[in-house]
Amino acid sequence: MARLSDSTDTTAEDALALPGDGLREGIIDDLRRRIGDAVIDTHIAPNDDLWVRVSTESWRDTAVALKAAGFTFFSFLSGLDWMPSPYGKGEEDPTAEPQEPDTEIRQGVTGGETRFQVFARLVDLDRHVGVTVKADVPDDRPVVDSWSSVFAGANWHERECHEMFGIGFNGHPDLRNMYLPTDFEGYPLRKDFPLLARMIKPWPGIVDVEPMPAQDTAGEGSASDEPAGGES
Amino acid sequence: MGLVDKGRMPASLTKLFNMSRSYSLWVYQWGLACCAIEMGAAFGSPRYDVMRLGVIPLPASPRQADFVCISGTVTDKMAPAVRRLWEQMPEPKYAISMGSCANCGGPYWDSYSVTKGVDQIIPIDVYVPGCPPRPEALLEGIVLLQQRIKNEDMAAKWRGDEGFTSLQATRERERVAAAPISEPANPAPDREPIVVGGGPIE
Repeated sequence: MARLSDSTDTTAEDALALPGDGLREGIIDDLRRRIGDAVIDTHIAPNDDLWVRVSTESWRDTAVALKAAGFTFFSFLSGLDWMPSPYGKGEEDPTAEPQEPDTEIRQGVTGGETRFQVFARLVDLDRHVGVTVKADVPDDRPVVDSWSSVFAGANWHERECHEMFGIGFNGHPDLRNMYLPTDFEGYPLRKDFPLLARMIKPWPGIVDVEPMPAQDTAGEGSASDEPAGGES
Repeated sequence: MGLVDKGRMPASLTKLFNMSRSYSLWVYQWGLACCAIEMGAAFGSPRYDVMRLGVIPLPASPRQADFVCISGTVTDKMAPAVRRLWEQMPEPKYAISMGSCANCGGPYWDSYSVTKGVDQIIPIDVYVPGCPPRPEALLEGIVLLQQRIKNEDMAAKWRGDEGFTSLQATRERERVAAAPISEPANPAPDREPIVVGGGPIE
């Protein structure tokens, strides 16, 4: 089956010749046979992993198809928010110039068209291969179909995804808060959710901004390591 | 017994009662997270045996407990439960906050769902810092609590004074009340939380 790590560089052409990727190519072909052109994009890391993006309408059909294809182990389901945080990462050097905040939404491998995406990982325990599938969540009405009738374990994952990202799930029997208090307002894992504690007090562990002693010609490399240490 | 609430308990009897109370503490274990493992080691294992201090970790309910040891991260979802069970504990009751999360939110101080310190909800007598504190540190916290109990003025509690009143504070108050008016009042802090390994909190 999949080979153990191999030290030679593999180019895209070589990847197809390796036996491990015949497996993943075969998985993609099988999926295309089952759900047709709902498969929008795929990405293979040779001998490593497989990503598939499907259309939003076929999100549940993908689960059914993959389960029939042998991917019976449901690993997890969660959401992705691709918007760069308007509050920055909270790890920037406070003495440097403030950078222009990045506002471009860049979806990851296999791309996408919306800010939110829902993604899940399924594993085939017999062939020892896993696949990560994802689908866009429409911006105007963030709802997708629920997987809970296909994989029972998806029930709680979808509850968590709903309370953290605000993505609705059609057909989910019980979509209420799981980790958050019942009356919590807002969706905390969205990038535009303000983390008040960090806004009031910046993170005290800012990375060392002193130049390394070798580069610092004045030889004053023995100062304290954290410039924000005086705040606490 | 009318002696206690009328404040007429002789000093030696107070000391005896305080000593008996401090060596027969039943602790309600509120283990929430990783600190619960260390608390379990302190309370349940023969190596860091807590029973040798007179502390019994086996109350059947909070209504039968003397003090509560809150160990671990208190989330906003858990906070009402902590408050409710604290109110179910009968007086005299004390609280030990174990671990960084219960003291001040700890490593999760910036989270959207963590209560930054259980002292926002209940009054704490002893703070045990650490992440997690060693069982010996928790035992030191319990010993400090015992010293505090030995020093407590029970009559103040029966009279309805909130919280903890030490014997020194009561003596000080009586001395000030009996003294001439020109002497400036000496505000001795009654309830000064103890921090294991350090002095009073600034």
